[in-house]
Amino acid sequence: MNHKIVVQAVKDLGLEVADIVWGTSIGCAGRQTFGTWKGDGFAGTHGRVYAIARGLRIALPPEKKIILTVGDGDAFGIGLNHLIHAARSNADMTVIVNDNLGYQSTGGQYGWTTPQGSKTDSSPYGMFEPNLMSGVMDVLEILRGAGATFLARHVAMDGAWAVETVKQAILNRGFSLVHMPYPCPTNFASRELGSRNQVNIYRWIKERAAPLGQEKKDTIWATGIWHDASNSRPEFAQLVHETVEKIRRTGTL
Amino acid sequence: MKRFLETGNFAITEGAILAGCRFFAGYPITPATELAESMSLRLPQVGGVYLQAEDECAAMHMCIGAALGGYKAMTATSGPGFILYADPYGWALGCETPLVVLNSGRVGPVSGITGAPGQGEFYLMRYPTQGGNFETICLAPNSAQECMAMTVEAFYLAERFRMPVSVLADQLITDGFEDISVPENDDEMKEMGFRVWPREVCQGPDFYPATDELDIPPVVLGHNTGALCSDWTPTEEGYDIEEVEAHHKHAYRLIYKVRNNRHIFNHLFEKKHMDDDPDLVVVSYGTPSRVVNTAVIKARQQGLKVGALRLINLWPFPDEHFNRKTKYLVVELNWDGELVREVQRAAPKDSKIHFLGSCGDLPTLASLIEAFEKILKDEPLARKGWELEEW
Repeated sequence: MNHKIVVQAVKDLGLEVADIVWGTSIGCAGRQTFGTWKGDGFAGTHGRVYAIARGLRIALPPEKKIILTVGDGDAFGIGLNHLIHAARSNADMTVIVNDNLGYQSTGGQYGWTTPQGSKTDSSPYGMFEPNLMSGVMDVLEILRGAGATFLARHVAMDGAWAVETVKQAILNRGFSLVHMPYPCPTNFASRELGSRNQVNIYRWIKERAAPLGQEKKDTIWATGIWHDASNSRPEFAQLVHETVEKIRRTGTL
Repeated sequence: MKRFLETGNFAITEGAILAGCRFFAGYPITPATELAESMSLRLPQVGGVYLQAEDECAAMHMCIGAALGGYKAMTATSGPGFILYADPYGWALGCETPLVVLNSGRVGPVSGITGAPGQGEFYLMRYPTQGGNFETICLAPNSAQECMAMTVEAFYLAERFRMPVSVLADQLITDGFEDISVPENDDEMKEMGFRVWPREVCQGPDFYPATDELDIPPVVLGHNTGALCSDWTPTEEGYDIEEVEAHHKHAYRLIYKVRNNRHIFNHLFEKKHMDDDPDLVVVSYGTPSRVVNTAVIKARQQGLKVGALRLINLWPFPDEHFNRKTKYLVVELNWDGELVREVQRAAPKDSKIHFLGSCGDLPTLASLIEAFEKILKDEPLARKGWELEEW
């Protein structure tokens, strides 16, 4: 679902296969998307794809887009340090976090955006630790503070609206991240909802999502564009190359 | 040729630049910090990029990214940082990404003493990551000048073998000041034995052939070749696959492209007084080999039939140097004995293997000569603390 949203955004923008280098991570989000793009692609070790992408960003021509489809464990757990530094440096990449509400490819353990109270294989009594989903601890607020220039949240059911957001994310020449929770009927839903019926988990997520500004008491995911400072800060690779060029020519900065 | 009184770190920087390195990512750590500093000064002057990473793991991953984009890239650290390379090192081995990785050893375990040399990563350089089913190449210089030569050589081997190649130095070589000659043109480079291999781009469609063949250009992204690289078992086209047969092909290549092509680098060793079948062969690498060489020359003057074998190519281990049944003394900067285990494995069964380890400092000339005398006279080795023992 999320993958379709991203591919549709790429298509709508008129980008070609050659315009994009696609990176993926480990887990459901990574395994489901690696090698599905017909152009060049890579898969990073768990959580490190942002560091690889920063090195690659230096080497690629600026017009090439880097799109990363990653999971919530990858981005907000093991890779958060690297993610924050990618945001800090404003490296041009579009990170799509396909959030299936925990570590599902290992059977269904809680993650850092798993709704509080959820029962998972590693939180059989309910997830009681604070997660990265509320107030200033919201992962999007952390990334805003770290300097990201485009941040948004959508649920997979947002369809055409999410496509429009992803288009804007790709157009930002800097660090963009779109957080997109999507349903996992196999593990998350079977434990938390006691049902593998896809309709139930779709409904469960949809009922807990609301557009920003229209949140209800039980809203978990406030959807829409959280932060749009597109093209407001120097892009990482451009800054590095301009700096290097100046030092090379003049011997100083 | 330009001459300098400079450090090993300076020599490594100049060697990397001569080899075409234009990307360095690192994280400050004693005693490799000065290398990062010198890269940050020199690389922009030649149009190259220096990046300071959030940790060593990110540093090597950034190098991977830069290499995947076509750069010749390098990273450097010391032992406590090297263990954070485990993750990217495996990725680069599996995905056949050319990189150069330098480790300037200090005494350990863990943080140990920042300012004391150590050789505790002999096996770590062979097994820098998990999973097995790979070979590594490691070169160990013993002077600032050789640091430059081995950095150039590591870049050459990295391109031809399509893999990360490591240089194992130690705190004394990288931080110490020495006389260094830097070649200024191609002729001078040739004269000094420096080999350079240009970066090319694999055009596919077979990005990961199942052979031991060398000189296949590395996979580079951004050229729209349909190139794929990942940490999974690849098909020859680069798609991930969960089939043991495919993994056999992958593992075969990672092991045998190195094992079957050792002739390209197995000339990297040094022998002193080894032509007359000495009664005792003293084996070492890196800084201690300098004391060993002096001790062997001195011992010869005293009439002791001793020879010195210095390994530069540490991995894959050059078994061929140990085919003679004789007495061996292995000198290392650790007390647990690492190189000595490999010598014991490679030497004929009834050879006598001895070990002289020092921990955080160099062995003295006197302690070495005393050890030579005792071993040659078959005297029981007086055990001084942990310093000398019959292995």
